[in-house]
Amino acid sequence: MVKELTVYPDERILACGDVRGFDESVGKLFDDIIDTMKRHDLDALSAIQVAHPFNMFVVKKEDQYIEFANPRILQKSKPFEAEERSSYYPDISAVVPRFEKMKIVYEDRNGNTCYMDADGDRHFAAMFQQMMDFSLGGTMLDRIDKKQKQRILDALEGKGLVPQPGDVCPTFSRKDYFVSFADKILFFMGLSLLTPLFKFEKNTVEHIYMFDKIAFPLVLALMLGFFLYAFYESKKYKQCSSCQVGNNIGVVIKRSVAAVVFALGAYFLVNPN
Amino acid sequence: MARLVVMGGGVSGHTAATFAKKWLGSEHEVVVVTPNSQWNWIPSNIWVGVGQMTKEDVVFPLAPVYEKAGIDYRQAKAVSIHPEGKADSDTPYITIEYTGQGKEGQTEEITYDYLINATGPKLNFDATPGLGNGEGQLGEHTVSVCTADHALHANLELQKILEKAKTEKQKVLVGTGHGMCTCQGAAFEYIFNIEHEARKAGVRDNLEIKWISNESFLGDFGIGGLHIKRGMYAASSKLFAESLFVERGVDWLVGAHVNKVEEGKVHYELLDGSTGEEDFDFAMLIPPFAGVGLKAYDKNGEDMTDKIFAPNGFLKVDADYTAKPYEEWKASDWPRTYQNPTYSNIFAVGIAFAPPHLISKPMSSPNGTPINPTPPRTGMPSGIIGKAVAHSVVDLIKNGENAHLHEASMAEMGAACVASAGKGLTDGTAAALTVYPVVPDFEKYPGIGRDLDYTFGEIGLAGHWIKHILHHLFIYKAKLKPGWTLIPE
Repeated sequence: MVKELTVYPDERILACGDVRGFDESVGKLFDDIIDTMKRHDLDALSAIQVAHPFNMFVVKKEDQYIEFANPRILQKSKPFEAEERSSYYPDISAVVPRFEKMKIVYEDRNGNTCYMDADGDRHFAAMFQQMMDFSLGGTMLDRIDKKQKQRILDALEGKGLVPQPGDVCPTFSRKDYFVSFADKILFFMGLSLLTPLFKFEKNTVEHIYMFDKIAFPLVLALMLGFFLYAFYESKKYKQCSSCQVGNNIGVVIKRSVAAVVFALGAYFLVNPN
Repeated sequence: MARLVVMGGGVSGHTAATFAKKWLGSEHEVVVVTPNSQWNWIPSNIWVGVGQMTKEDVVFPLAPVYEKAGIDYRQAKAVSIHPEGKADSDTPYITIEYTGQGKEGQTEEITYDYLINATGPKLNFDATPGLGNGEGQLGEHTVSVCTADHALHANLELQKILEKAKTEKQKVLVGTGHGMCTCQGAAFEYIFNIEHEARKAGVRDNLEIKWISNESFLGDFGIGGLHIKRGMYAASSKLFAESLFVERGVDWLVGAHVNKVEEGKVHYELLDGSTGEEDFDFAMLIPPFAGVGLKAYDKNGEDMTDKIFAPNGFLKVDADYTAKPYEEWKASDWPRTYQNPTYSNIFAVGIAFAPPHLISKPMSSPNGTPINPTPPRTGMPSGIIGKAVAHSVVDLIKNGENAHLHEASMAEMGAACVASAGKGLTDGTAAALTVYPVVPDFEKYPGIGRDLDYTFGEIGLAGHWIKHILHHLFIYKAKLKPGWTLIPE
């Protein structure tokens, strides 16, 4: 049966695990993957690309469809750069570092352990490794440098293919960076209160107190930045509970109070003067 | 007055003993039997191994800490367990042989009401010819970072290599020294700390660094790998690890069982049955772990070691040890209370308990050689388990033998791990990972067996700072300084 291909930015591509039991469903899924490859004229296809979260895929070598379950590459050598395409990223290609020679261990559709020494077929090697990337959670874009990756993501965005938070709020927004940074600073401010418990030299204590003196206004500034950016986001997204002003005020008050408490604590406990 | 005897004073044993004493107070007795005079924060040994910390930074004397806590400390190794007592007494006891306190070599019997086995592992160097010296100790060809003294020795050897690398090519090999090793994380940290130090010393170009491991893929870490969520994205630990290896110019070889070590050379067998050799000028290979060799005897003095210990020497607990195929492994196979099924007053914590099976996918070569990581029971889980068992024992003592036992299944607990990839205030890096649950639950989380919302990771400078802070925090806790109970395991 021909399956529907997942296409970027479909998030179902994110994670999959090893095949644990080899019953008839494994053979059926291999058959479906091969049918789908034939329909779309593909040289390789993984289970995760048809939304089944298992570490299995098929690679076409000459006219033969080779089925791999739970494959592992034990040894690799002869690096080369492959120009690759993938049905997950339509109409784009990427230059990806791969290895031509590999020692492979895998299982067939019946769970029998098989071995392969691959060498001399760069196309097969590239396809196999691209499938390995998919089958353990990732894509070929995780193998390339940031500049090339950004160019590809920009090209995909140009085609309208971009993760869409839609009208609802995103699961992660930039305003969280303000909170995350403030939390880290607060954590260290809190830790600095343990200073009297250690026998640090005066010079060290002065440095710790200097950190507290810088950190306190920095947390307040970050909270101001957070509030302004959150206000902007609340206008951008609708139906977003985490963007509501009340929540944002709560976040600001909580951390500002913590900063004041830690600053006072530092003044009385850490201050070497 | 009841007496709790804790065999072992590592992370889990120390945690169990100190919490039990705190909760039991002076009404009951807690005895710790450990052959070591010093407590070692093992995760920082890798920094001793590259000269970034001294031995004194990672150890402290146990005697004053236990004296302060009111714990009866015996610097001795446990030799045997007698759960049924002896012919003229039903009181269970253990036999110990002193290694310090001026009583070296003397033996003694210590009776107990409750016993916690926290002996940790025997570093089984001799499992691989040439890795050990034939007498159970580290051999002459490689180094180790498993103890503070090993790490100190490793650093001395490493400095010679870094010195030589100023003028000639040198090769460093780091990883696992047997097909059934665990603790790949420690080797992972050590290899990247060496790489970091080589760069700092300006000799990186002359140093070839290679990883050799029994994992079937990079990033398995003995827990079958994990998926790391970062913001909106997820990546497998395989990609995460491979990216780091490529970025740092470290080559790797996986699925390898090191079966022989010689001067400057290891021999290995791969998962496909092929064999090979790898040369080295400096090698740090983690040994496989085994039980410490405790014996158990019944009332008549008959050996019944195999009744309470698994064949690998670890103590049987409330796990499901039924042999079954990989696809039938379940989260519920893993122990919850760590109570021995035969003797309800015996518990095991940390590495000392026998796991029901592997966590990673079991694999072997066509020759039948098993090559897969064994389950880690170190770090955060061992501390949590130690505390839970202490809680159980305290309740049993205070509320009677029907008291509810506390549970800490590795299939229901999360764990955080901070793996150093180089030490430095401004240029250090560490990978901070959380995983939930430690043992995948494929029934609850089909596919990957874990909850992606609680499994995430980052690598960077902040991770290194956290690792360094944790170093001080956990040593502070282990010294039982004010507020120590507030610091989590």
